[in-house]
Amino acid sequence: MTQATASSSTVRPSPVIREASSLAQGWPPRRRKGFGARRSGLINLLYLPAILLFAVFTVYPLISGVGYSFTNWDGYSPEKPFVGLENYLRLFQDDTFRQVLGNTFIYGIGSMVIQQVLGLALALALDRPMRGRGVARAIIYLPVLVSPVIMGTMYYLLFQFNNGAFNDIVVAFGGERVAWLSQPSAAVAIIVAVNSLQFVGISMIIYLAGLQSIPQTYYEAAMLDGAGAWQRFTGITVPLLQPAFATSVVLNLIGGLKLFDVIKVLTNGGPGYSTNSVSTLIGITYFENQSAGYASAMGVVLFVIIAIFTLALNALLNRRRLEQQ
Amino acid sequence: MKSRSLITVAGATALLLALAGCSGGDSGSSDGAKLEVQTGQAVDSTILAELKTITKKFEASHPDVDIDLRGSTANYESDIKVRLASGNVPDIWWTHGWSLQRYGKFLTPLQDEAWAKDFNPALDSAMKNDKGQFFAFPVDTDVAGILYNKTVLSDAGIDPASLTTWDAFDAAARRLKSAGITPIMSSGKAAGPAGNLADWISPGAYSKSQLADLTDGKFEESTYSKVLDLVASWKKDGFFNEDYVSATGEDMAKALGTGKAAFIFQQNNTANQALTYNPEAELGYIPVPSLTGETPYLIGGEMNAFGISKTTKDMKGAKEFIAFLAEPENAAALAKSAGSIPGLTNVKPDLGVLQSSYDAVVEPGKFPLVPYFDRVYLPNGMWNTMVTTTDSVVTGGSPSVKPAVSTMAKDFDRLFGQNK
Repeated sequence: MTQATASSSTVRPSPVIREASSLAQGWPPRRRKGFGARRSGLINLLYLPAILLFAVFTVYPLISGVGYSFTNWDGYSPEKPFVGLENYLRLFQDDTFRQVLGNTFIYGIGSMVIQQVLGLALALALDRPMRGRGVARAIIYLPVLVSPVIMGTMYYLLFQFNNGAFNDIVVAFGGERVAWLSQPSAAVAIIVAVNSLQFVGISMIIYLAGLQSIPQTYYEAAMLDGAGAWQRFTGITVPLLQPAFATSVVLNLIGGLKLFDVIKVLTNGGPGYSTNSVSTLIGITYFENQSAGYASAMGVVLFVIIAIFTLALNALLNRRRLEQQ
Repeated sequence: MKSRSLITVAGATALLLALAGCSGGDSGSSDGAKLEVQTGQAVDSTILAELKTITKKFEASHPDVDIDLRGSTANYESDIKVRLASGNVPDIWWTHGWSLQRYGKFLTPLQDEAWAKDFNPALDSAMKNDKGQFFAFPVDTDVAGILYNKTVLSDAGIDPASLTTWDAFDAAARRLKSAGITPIMSSGKAAGPAGNLADWISPGAYSKSQLADLTDGKFEESTYSKVLDLVASWKKDGFFNEDYVSATGEDMAKALGTGKAAFIFQQNNTANQALTYNPEAELGYIPVPSLTGETPYLIGGEMNAFGISKTTKDMKGAKEFIAFLAEPENAAALAKSAGSIPGLTNVKPDLGVLQSSYDAVVEPGKFPLVPYFDRVYLPNGMWNTMVTTTDSVVTGGSPSVKPAVSTMAKDFDRLFGQNK
């Protein structure tokens, strides 16, 4: 810090010299009266498209969704009868919703944990100089660019009973075909695995960026002090990856809690309701059951859950970061 | 000058975005001469192919009316509900059994049209309200039973006419299974076939007074348990296809057509789909046995029908198009493509491969025609619950019956209250 300040002070000219120099060069041009206000107005105007998009596609649906949650609107009729808190009271007694909420936590937390472990391992492996490192990073990141619907369809083709690639392998080894997706717990595990594998590239990239921001001098100093590989990892890498860890955890957790596309394509929520997430149940309740009000109440609850999780995690991780500083 | 240009560009962008956001999209009817006809059929369906042919003929004879005929996604019901909610309604749309209960308030009454005098009275209970109004042109009068592959049953020595009780059906299924045939083909992947199992069995599980209780809002769990117990027993006996969870609707039609499966619980248009996999397939349908031991029955009502929006800007053109569809030659071609009996009495049925079943089980009038259970006795919106809960029984067997019935009861109460 001291060095930087000293360096700046040696380069920056004094205010008097700066003013004289500016006048001589004619730059910056002398501001006309009111230019600042007009410039500020122009900048505010340039916000408009973004604000408008945000208002139309995020704020308005959010507010109207909260409003619908107090009605028993069927989703298409002009009438939207007000029912107060009835939808929320019903929600907390709904066994299907409880089951689906449990699935949602499994998708959110399960995917997040797998993505952190795998993402960090891959980042550590691919942070070292080696041949084909760039290609390997690109291959791991590529699935992130693929639509989850396509990813789900590809895995459906792998897991389907007849003509599925996995069953063809099982049969080739003399086994019997397996109905992979017919057991609820197996189907949930497959969904977690598919989602984790698709988005592990995000964690890897975040951790790679974090690893590359750690100065090598720290490791060299630790090695001179006789620290082993594990000690360097736990004493230097892990603490200095805290910001990357916080970002990766929050992003993956939110993605897992909102999981929709892969479930729709892979199992369509079945067997029964057993693999639905709250997001897919909202779609079913809104469009199929024609209970837009009840579905909106589910949406509000999901929003609150994600907000609580995110805020709590952020607070926890920030506190740890401050403690380490 | 530069800042003024920037301000203009920013303002124009914001205005454009606002206009784009507020636009209801091209409804197809804004110019009054172009009618949007939203079908519920996939682009490769036989019905849509026939509709395209008829539409071309209509446009040739009515140069002042331009028809925008649209195929559908797999999410037809959701799509049309969103359009109704947003006020961006097609001029004419497919009502798939719901012209009265769900879409009636959005549609124009059609009972005074010239073709309406030939409206099939078998559709009265499903499509007419207590004032005698109906809101859609019926392409067909849906009559469904249990579809079967004649060759497969014949090879196994089973006489389809003898399958008048569930015990006889189960015995036939066991014989088919031992011969290496899948007795019942269904699909967990497609949204519907599992629900059809319960929808087909249910009318024969309830007495008249119990059915009246349902319409009064009372759902008796023990009776519905019997329906799902039967499905669970089929699961236990291994009657369903092993690939049930990952099988699609096309897989069902293919298995029926190629003789890998014996029975499917689907509407008769699946027979046409099966013929695309095996044009030589011999197919038929039997009435559904009753759980209470009464006479087997056929299930029927509205299936393929088209209604006109109350808010269309070209009511004259829309009515002309519907009248053109209702002309005997066109109505006959459409009903044939649907594999069903026409919806108008002045049109001669041509059921193709299913004609002999029609002559044997429908024409003599021996078997009663009952309405689709979910449409008449369950509140609007229950179909998905019926599909999902039956799906859980097909995959989970007996232990899943109790929670499935409980979910049905819970959703029945909620939706009955909502629809009151």
